[in-house]
Amino acid sequence: MNAAIIGQMAISGALMGLVYALIAYGFQLTYATSKSINFGQGELVMLSAFFSLTLTNLGLTHWGLGLSYALMIPGGLLFGALMGLVVERAGVRLALEQKSEGWILLTIIIGLFFFSAAENIWGRDDRPFPTPISADPIHVLGVDVTRLELSVAVGVFAIMGLIELFKRRTLLGKAFEAVAADRDAAELMGISATRTVMLSYGLSGAVAALAGILVSPITTVGPTMASALILKAFSVAVVAGLDSGFGVVLVGMFLGVLESLASYYVGSGWREAPGLILLILALALRPTGVFGKATIRKV
Amino acid sequence: MRRLLFLRGAELLAFAVLGAIPLLVLNEYALGLLTLLSIYGILLIGLDVTVGYLGQVNLAQIAFLGLGGYAAGLVITRLGMGMGPALLAATALCLVLGGLLALPALRLEGPQFALATLSFAALSATALNELESLTGGAQGLSIAQPPIFGHILTKPQFYWLCLAFLALVWMLMRNLLASQWGRAFEALRDSPIATDAMGVGTYRHKVAAFALGSGLGGLAGGLYALNLGYLQPQSFGYEQMITLLLGVVLGGRKSLWGALVGASVIVLLPNLLSKHDLFLAFSGLGCAMALAAGLRGLVKKTTRPFQALAPVVAMGILVVGGFFVPNTEDWRKAIFALMLFSVVVGLPEGLMGFLTGFLAKLFRVPEAPLPEPSDLNSVLPTHPADGSPLLVLDHLKRYFGGVKAVDDLSMTVCSGSIHGLIGPNGSGKSTVVNVISGLYTPSGGRVLLHGQELPQGSLFRVARAGVARTFQNLQLFGELTALENVMVALKDVYRSPLPLVLLGLARPEERRAQADALALLELIGLKDQARAKAKDLTYGAQRFLEIARALARKPDLLILDEPAAGLAHPDVLQQIEIIKRVHQRGITIILIEHHMDVVSELCDAVTVLDGGKVIAEGTPDEVKRHPKVVEAYLGQPPETDSATPHTDGGAAPLPA
Amino acid sequence: MFKQLVHGSLLLSALGLQGGDTVKIALTGPFSGGSAPMGTSARDGAKLAIAEINAAGGIQVGAKKLKIEVIERDDEAKNERGALIAQELAAMSDLSGVIGTVNTGVCIAGDKHLQEKGITKIICPAAGSASMTQWSKAGVKDNSIFRFAAHDGIQAAMVVEEAINRKFTKVAVVFDSTNYGVSGRDDMLDQIKKQGNKLTVVAQEKFNIGDKDMTAQLLRAKSAGAEAILIWGIGPELAAISNGEAKIGMKAPLIGGWTLSMSNYIDNAGKNGNGTLMPQTFIEEPITPKAKAFIDGYHKTFKVGRIPSPVAAAQGYDAVYLMAAAVKQAGSTDTHKVKEALEDLKEPVKGVIATWNHPYAKWDPADVTTHEAFRREQTVMGMVKDGHVVFGNDADRERLRKSATTATPAKLNKAKAKTK
Repeated sequence: MNAAIIGQMAISGALMGLVYALIAYGFQLTYATSKSINFGQGELVMLSAFFSLTLTNLGLTHWGLGLSYALMIPGGLLFGALMGLVVERAGVRLALEQKSEGWILLTIIIGLFFFSAAENIWGRDDRPFPTPISADPIHVLGVDVTRLELSVAVGVFAIMGLIELFKRRTLLGKAFEAVAADRDAAELMGISATRTVMLSYGLSGAVAALAGILVSPITTVGPTMASALILKAFSVAVVAGLDSGFGVVLVGMFLGVLESLASYYVGSGWREAPGLILLILALALRPTGVFGKATIRKV
Repeated sequence: MRRLLFLRGAELLAFAVLGAIPLLVLNEYALGLLTLLSIYGILLIGLDVTVGYLGQVNLAQIAFLGLGGYAAGLVITRLGMGMGPALLAATALCLVLGGLLALPALRLEGPQFALATLSFAALSATALNELESLTGGAQGLSIAQPPIFGHILTKPQFYWLCLAFLALVWMLMRNLLASQWGRAFEALRDSPIATDAMGVGTYRHKVAAFALGSGLGGLAGGLYALNLGYLQPQSFGYEQMITLLLGVVLGGRKSLWGALVGASVIVLLPNLLSKHDLFLAFSGLGCAMALAAGLRGLVKKTTRPFQALAPVVAMGILVVGGFFVPNTEDWRKAIFALMLFSVVVGLPEGLMGFLTGFLAKLFRVPEAPLPEPSDLNSVLPTHPADGSPLLVLDHLKRYFGGVKAVDDLSMTVCSGSIHGLIGPNGSGKSTVVNVISGLYTPSGGRVLLHGQELPQGSLFRVARAGVARTFQNLQLFGELTALENVMVALKDVYRSPLPLVLLGLARPEERRAQADALALLELIGLKDQARAKAKDLTYGAQRFLEIARALARKPDLLILDEPAAGLAHPDVLQQIEIIKRVHQRGITIILIEHHMDVVSELCDAVTVLDGGKVIAEGTPDEVKRHPKVVEAYLGQPPETDSATPHTDGGAAPLPA
Repeated sequence: MFKQLVHGSLLLSALGLQGGDTVKIALTGPFSGGSAPMGTSARDGAKLAIAEINAAGGIQVGAKKLKIEVIERDDEAKNERGALIAQELAAMSDLSGVIGTVNTGVCIAGDKHLQEKGITKIICPAAGSASMTQWSKAGVKDNSIFRFAAHDGIQAAMVVEEAINRKFTKVAVVFDSTNYGVSGRDDMLDQIKKQGNKLTVVAQEKFNIGDKDMTAQLLRAKSAGAEAILIWGIGPELAAISNGEAKIGMKAPLIGGWTLSMSNYIDNAGKNGNGTLMPQTFIEEPITPKAKAFIDGYHKTFKVGRIPSPVAAAQGYDAVYLMAAAVKQAGSTDTHKVKEALEDLKEPVKGVIATWNHPYAKWDPADVTTHEAFRREQTVMGMVKDGHVVFGNDADRERLRKSATTATPAKLNKAKAKTK
């Protein structure tokens, strides 16, 4: 029971957990305004990651790595936002209008399409993602972390912070909160619920893109890169509660640490198990999530 | 009768053709495909139970395919037993596991349920992979087909075995879904709250349905293992699950034929994609169909613009892509996605749903005639109404955080009376009724029926105790017909044990139920619309129907929550008439209403609430004049000398 | 019409060909998914050979010269697909042979349909022992399945040998949880014992396909003092191991199965992959004129600067020439006759890996190597360096050059070349 090793596992687990939290945060954004989530979010992460890769490589033909990477980020985020809008228009809006849950299937289908498109456009192989941030380990408090891993933390908190600021300080953000609280009332006040839902999907897409950009240098970019991530992100979102705000960060890190330690002590194959068991338990005991708000049924 | 023959005939023909193919075509590949088709057919029928009938996205079915397969495989390789025990073990294991998963999972709705099933599937795959000593892990498990009675089945014989199982499952499911079980499944999809309130346990039916679907998945898994002869955990992952889901949706939900069509698509699609010309022809046809359906929808205004156009765009991309893309196999998933998108958006009923509508128009087979309505006395026996206290609310309290919606309320309802419950908005009327009926648990106090405490917090158990209700916001089973809405709620009619139902031997019971339900429909004047879907009825008819449905419970106490809300005047009159008829049979009624003329005409006693407390009780006339009541409604202190009520032949114009 | 119905070829004949004009050879393998680089390389190498043969007019079958017609099937590395494809191919009346498959699971699930009908198949490049030992275990008297790849028995021996030669004493054995990985581990442990127990296995670590984070396994190996990692897995996960090592400052080199030469290992490991060693039957260096022609031809035809999996490509290429030789010798496109000829090739076949001299012998269930073409001499250690695979030991360059130009020793019916 080496303390250094536990520390090592815990830290790298927690940092990975932040990625889950980020994707879960994306779920929350859309759930808040529309009670729907994009089941194909993993493919969105992957597609944006590939696009960002292309952008970076394009930049590399003209400029150095640092500049290319910096210029790529807004481009990637924009692409993610755009894809989020596509998902909303094609997969969600109709179901919301019909007050059905057809978006579950439709977002799965759109995700499938993205997967196939990515496979064919970029190939089926896993590719490395160039980054100016170094992957050499630095020794912090007896533990080996890479700057790359730390950048994940920075990125996650940065974008979450920005979005929360947006929600609280800007008028558009307030409209967002209004629709989240009561869609019909907001519409009566002249706020277009549809536009707000579009906004939430756009933001969710941008968040997914950032998750892809942050995680790709560590895990490589490939068509199947997000399939493992997404289940964990689901777990985090549901366990924390689909309307829990920052709760996802805590739950995400907790899950990451749990997984890491489980893979070390129990066996790497069982790595997934804690998250899954946690999810089932949480759903059984507290369906609205650990940090979620209980709802009252009205008949 | 003709309809029955027609449908059965079609089924028999289909199975006969499928069974005859090995005799005509000596191609092993075709045989392999057909065997896989039958296995997937069983699997999809199982999946359809949850996805189609319960309306939930179930992502665990692939896990049951795998678990069933491994169970069968281990019984054969480890225990040395034959095919029978292996298949039995596979089905039983998945039935049990499905039930166990359902218990927590089915407390959830929508996306959470989907995620719970997804986690189960992932957990199963991990377990199968990691428990190497048991399952062989990632290296897989090889299974040699054991002999049956000393004889190893040839490929055609194995195919017939699978086909026989498919036919058996088909028959059992058909019988099940045509019975009260099928109605219950549909009902709980449309309104779980009403289903519980009608004494049909939503939860237990969902769990049973899920377990059944999983058991079928296990059976398919056992056959799958015997067919392939080799199992690996990675064959039962998310990607394969999506394929299954999409097969069900494409084929058509809530349809056995749909499951078969879906299975065919899954099995044959890869072949379709590898032949370029065939693919182009197929996609062109699909595009044309989408165009036709879309235009028709736009013209008839039955679909939204997006719904009409999106499938055309999707199929169009398919056609154009087919011309440009050299190798369609590479784009297989995208092609599948586009096809599915078109179907989910443009043809939500799936191919079979669309075809049955089409075929029904082509072959106008009339429905079997309904039986004569039963005698109303047997359906709704009269209650002795002696005025004794039937329902007693004893210091009832219900708080929502700081809000005291019901605040120390005591009330007595006498047997055989129509007891009105009125008050301004937010006074707690609906909350009281929701507490009584079990939607909410009281924060304090008790509810007594016949002197016995009513179960708390469970719509289902309260319903079983003899209380029936209607809802302020209609909770009808929209997709069921008016007749079926009432049939679902009938009490004491469905006594046949499950095996008899499965074998189709419960027909007499069904006829009786139809007759009983018709009697109730006749009572409320909807007998002629028995076959109309509830969602297609006029608003007034829907309100009446909810009462008929509640009456099917043979209730001791009937609670009507604003039955006249939003009704036009003629319908209000009819509603009053219906309630009078019910009253005549001695059934005690609690009536929440804002229409004061309704209250005045019907109620023997009225309780007025405000702010969760009783502010007045008495006859309608007494209550109308009561100063506190006037103050509550109009917000003014009463005049010093007793105010004379308006006597213009109707109710005082109290705000509704 | 009825006859077509009987053979179900209405369903299958959209290819619109009349039988008898061509030599039909099926190429199968994973052309999509994680194993795709190997699958597509093998297929493309085969197609290169087929194009060359067809350009020269085709194969001399009896009196006529027939061109080769290719039937491609993507098994997606899925067992069920593999089984269906095998059934489809087995039902084709005029197929001369099948070349392909990368995944051992697909071989186990699918090949039995071919073997039942006696369809000739050359497994290429799947290296897992189970693909062939399944036939000796079943005790079949007659086998139409052959393998053309350096199977894991040879590779494991070389890996252990290399570790001993480089003076390592403590090693970690790391493997993926698939058939390939686990049987590779078994082969390695077996070889360590056979080669005198000179290596101590301080850690045995498993990982799953799709795993990205190997920190747990590496930390355990590091704290146990592993000096080298003997590894059996596939590209992307192997890269994660190399990158993981760099992260925790571990310097143990990777020595493992041939899959370490895959492009998705090399590209994703980057500089962390330098120094990784693996057995190779073909290095992408123009050491002979034929090799140069092959490499250039591949680059030009498939528009790449580097072959994704040189070993798979070269093996696919040579396998086609073997099959073509068998067809020519049999004087018929009948797959049964092709099998008999393949078991007894009288003329040497010039390939890019070697000149093959009677590579196969009549099947003997007690000796699986009768249907294995490769031996130790055709295999060398490759090393990853700056994004390419080069020779790991300079001496090997000469050995392989010589081996490629001299004929392989003939495989006779009872003689077995002792593979270490």
